Amino acid sequence: MKADATKRSFVTALQGEIGTFWHHFRVAISTRSQPNGSRPLLTAADFQEELAILGLSRRRFVPKDYADALGDYLGISINIHVIPDDWYPELSRRLAISGRLGELRYSEQLTLAAIFVPGSLPPLVSTLTILHELGHLAAGDVLIVPSEEVDGSHGLYAEGATFMTSPVRKGKKLARGSPFAEEALREREANMRASYALFAGCLGSDSPYADAMFSVL
Amino acid sequence: MSAVQHQALVLGAISLVAFVFFTYFALSSRRTRFGVFAACNLLFVAMVFGAVATFDLSGERTEIVVAIMTELPIVLIVAWVCLALAGGLPYLSGTLPVEPAVRRARLRTLLRSAPFVLLFFLGVASVIGFVFPSPAIRVYAPAPIEFFVMKGLIMVPEGLYSGLAALVFVMAGRSSGLKRRLYFKNLAFSLGMAFIALIAIESTIFAGVRVWVADQNRLAILKMLNTCETCLAISCIIVFALGLSLRYTPAVAGPLLQRLQTGWLHAQEQFESLEWQAVNAGAAQRLRDASDTVAMACRLRDVSESDMEKALATIRLVAVMKDPSSETQHITLEAARKLYELQEEILGDDVLASKISWAAGLRSRAREPQTVKSAPLHDALRAALDLIDDHGSDVPVESRPLWYWIAAVSAADAKIIDPPVHASVHPDEYDGYRAAVDAYYAARTSIQTSEDDD
Repeated sequence: MKADATKRSFVTALQGEIGTFWHHFRVAISTRSQPNGSRPLLTAADFQEELAILGLSRRRFVPKDYADALGDYLGISINIHVIPDDWYPELSRRLAISGRLGELRYSEQLTLAAIFVPGSLPPLVSTLTILHELGHLAAGDVLIVPSEEVDGSHGLYAEGATFMTSPVRKGKKLARGSPFAEEALREREANMRASYALFAGCLGSDSPYADAMFSVL
Repeated sequence: MSAVQHQALVLGAISLVAFVFFTYFALSSRRTRFGVFAACNLLFVAMVFGAVATFDLSGERTEIVVAIMTELPIVLIVAWVCLALAGGLPYLSGTLPVEPAVRRARLRTLLRSAPFVLLFFLGVASVIGFVFPSPAIRVYAPAPIEFFVMKGLIMVPEGLYSGLAALVFVMAGRSSGLKRRLYFKNLAFSLGMAFIALIAIESTIFAGVRVWVADQNRLAILKMLNTCETCLAISCIIVFALGLSLRYTPAVAGPLLQRLQTGWLHAQEQFESLEWQAVNAGAAQRLRDASDTVAMACRLRDVSESDMEKALATIRLVAVMKDPSSETQHITLEAARKLYELQEEILGDDVLASKISWAAGLRSRAREPQTVKSAPLHDALRAALDLIDDHGSDVPVESRPLWYWIAAVSAADAKIIDPPVHASVHPDEYDGYRAAVDAYYAARTSIQTSEDDD
């Protein structure tokens, strides 16, 4: 009876492993074969790879450093404008009413991106908002073909779940995968990028993800 | 027992000892997927040699099969290492490539090509071996030139990729500011891959000697080369075992970091942003006047700038927590308590608490960055929780600071909360409370007077 149970648990574990492997295999194949493809959400490890490309891995940095490195990589100029409430009091009110905290403007022709945030935002929110908007640039969300946008939102998702991506116009982006077709997912991923960037920038060489790039076996 | 069987027995025994050593030394201290894979390969080689020793497999085509089978594990190990360096094994080894490879696209592509190139040449060598059979496992016997071609097709790419991998490990190890243990790890792996490259070179020379050197000198040279190969193989296994067994514990644990990234940061940002939205959209209008009076009262009592920020944050929090509007529905007492607990957890980790910071004011770099401890939200949360529901508080009433009492008087005056009445004592008994009341009403009178004058 005990032997049977052990055997069954081994078989179940084996089936589970094969199932996981098969799932990953199908994901890998589908990503390559579908015209639009699908991919999972960004992980902290994926983000660390992006930081290494920008030369920021194992370094402490602030949003300005990230913006400069990203701008150099994308070949665009990124300007961050923190607008004091005294200059333009309506900005805070308009943004607050619309439920937004900042705004990203991008011009492909002028190779220019500008991020606007109100000066009255609490410091942490201000930092994360700037990083969030930079995350959209890194992901290539600004290159998305507008007609391909899909509405909808995913409240909860299983770990490793994949979501449909959208085709993009010709242009440089930092992320390996294409941007998501759904706006809610793009926003979610920009939030994740902001969160990863804040921690990576604070921890520098103490980040476990940075160390993992030197311990590959 | 034939000479081939005898030799296979010796090689099989060496492989088995290597497997046992590797399993005991490397896998018992730190199990990685590569470690398990390498151990399986050693066991496989031991089994192949064991089969040759048990069953007389001499015969030219059979010898080719055995030779290919014994080369295959090394080829697979080199391919695995190259793919791992390029980050091409997300589901089998780690998910990250080695840092020097990330920044060099060509190097990464070259490393990724390793399994295809190595297996292609192994396949071509197998075909040549079958078409032109040779005494592949009779190591001291003379061999035709086809044997050299077959061996070279396997060894040259293997040597090149191993050398490349060794170089990449050196590049990784030389990165500035790398932790000592990671430096030694990369050093060990670079040595291990260099040994494999040297073995490949030695094997090619060995095959050449079997083809071109005359009888009397051949045996002596081959024996010397054999000894050299054994030494290299043993050194390779030792350094790989050392590299794999080196434990490394990061300063901040990955799971804790993940929890903070998804839990604490999200909660703190949501709290602060919703509070900002509520205030700026006018949802919590009644606290605007209260805020001005609090600021004035704090100045009257010489309360520091940071404590004044805490008092202001406290009344904002109390106002939005008491406001049932849809914008602030996520800022509940329960959510506030949960966020406070997460903050306390971070503060319990000294390394993390001292490192997680953000610019206090993006327009001014001169100001000290905020941390979880110094940000007004931490103390303001505690104060707001105490003001709304004092029963669960572990902060004694007598030790509450002046800014707390100013916020309490202000919130009560603005009818956001009921006047502060604590479960066990009356606040009037405390100097702090009385001073706050005096300062608050003096500030209110002063503001009213100036408004009347205008």
